[in-house]
Amino acid sequence: MPGALPDIDLRRYRWIRNGVVVWMTAVLLGAFLLDIPRINILEHTARNLYFHVPMWFTMMAAFFVSAYHSFRYLQTEAPVRDVRAEQAAVVGALFGILGLLTGMMWARFTWYVGTGKWWNFDPKQTMAAVQLLIYGAYFVLRSSIEEPRKRARIAAVYNLFAAVTLPFLLYVLPRQMESLHPGAEGNPAFSDITHPIMRLVFYPACIGFIGLFWVLYTQRVRMTLVRKRLQDHLDPEPAL
Amino acid sequence: MTDAVIAWLSGAWAVFEKDARLELRSRYAINMLLMFVLASLLLVTFGIGQEPVSTRVQAALLWVVMLFSAAVGLGRAFISEEERGTVLLLRLNTRGSMVYAGKLLFNFLLVLGLNLVAISAFLVLLGVEVRVPGLLALTVVLGGLGLSGATTLLAALIARTANRGPLLPVLLFPLLVPLLLSAVSATRHALPDGGGWPAASGELLTLTGFAGTVITAAVLLFDYVWYD
Repeated sequence: MPGALPDIDLRRYRWIRNGVVVWMTAVLLGAFLLDIPRINILEHTARNLYFHVPMWFTMMAAFFVSAYHSFRYLQTEAPVRDVRAEQAAVVGALFGILGLLTGMMWARFTWYVGTGKWWNFDPKQTMAAVQLLIYGAYFVLRSSIEEPRKRARIAAVYNLFAAVTLPFLLYVLPRQMESLHPGAEGNPAFSDITHPIMRLVFYPACIGFIGLFWVLYTQRVRMTLVRKRLQDHLDPEPAL
Repeated sequence: MTDAVIAWLSGAWAVFEKDARLELRSRYAINMLLMFVLASLLLVTFGIGQEPVSTRVQAALLWVVMLFSAAVGLGRAFISEEERGTVLLLRLNTRGSMVYAGKLLFNFLLVLGLNLVAISAFLVLLGVEVRVPGLLALTVVLGGLGLSGATTLLAALIARTANRGPLLPVLLFPLLVPLLLSAVSATRHALPDGGGWPAASGELLTLTGFAGTVITAAVLLFDYVWYD
């Protein structure tokens, strides 16, 4: 049903894409070149703040985008909603993996230096792992259903169901495990320990990463739609 | 009570009664779950050997065994309908929420029975001592409610997929992490060096909220899975 798929405003897309490219270049330059205060233990690893934390924010944003489109799919049954939900999850999972890896590396060489530990069951780390498991289950579920409409519906239900249980995880984990992350019980809040010059790069980095997510996500959505249109064109099978 | 409520209740009860009667006829699910729980508990105790196990590990083992047996046993609820070809009839004669409620009740009772067997086996095999039995019972009820609520919806979900068997644990476990953590913690408070009722209030609240949220969401979402 190519008629049901909306056209994309290419001009707007290109504007945002170029903006994100310039913006992220500036963020990267600032992240590596600006001088930062050397704090004991952290030293230059503090620069990871510009990458690790925005990646994590981006994954949460992607999760909300995905859940929102799943919700809209159940309301409207528009195929494009399913495509959007899936692609937001794909890009979100990518950022989640990157955030987990940067976090593991950071923790390994600061908090757990000398212990040789890569994984320490920090609440935030555990939550990221659970979130990635949910994404993984979502993709497995999608691949197990052939018929597109059924797949879209079942996957949307699972996505929303997972989104509903997520607040409990946010509530339960900090009670069960101790955290070294800033803002956890007894730890100073983020804004107390961050030098103004780091905030100067950090906030733009958050915007930049979310922009990067948007570019990758819309690109993938467009690609999927084009591929679908091509498939319908080459092989016009009657819908089931 | 209005007629609509009574009709809904009797519909849900009819679905439950049908499942219970079928189950009592073959006793497939009950026997399988029983054997699964006993076999996995025996494996655990063989693996641990004579070592004394801390209460934390005891509680964790109990709930991990519960989650795995639920994932194995409760997935049958809707697959059996597909296999017998009775889905269409059920869909025609009842509303989605009745089916969900009936199946939920059936699964909940299965989980409770399972827990009873598992806990008594734990008491004997691992020498677990329960200091606050009421707390343990409430934890099992609330945890079982959340567990069966989530499993019933996901069982309906996987009944619609192509290869039904091993998918349920994959979908279920990430969602049940909050339940597992709270239930383990509450169970630990019921064991000798735990804090008893006052210490477990947060966990009990979480379990109640989890069960309520999961069942509400499942009722709302069930129709999308049940009808084409």
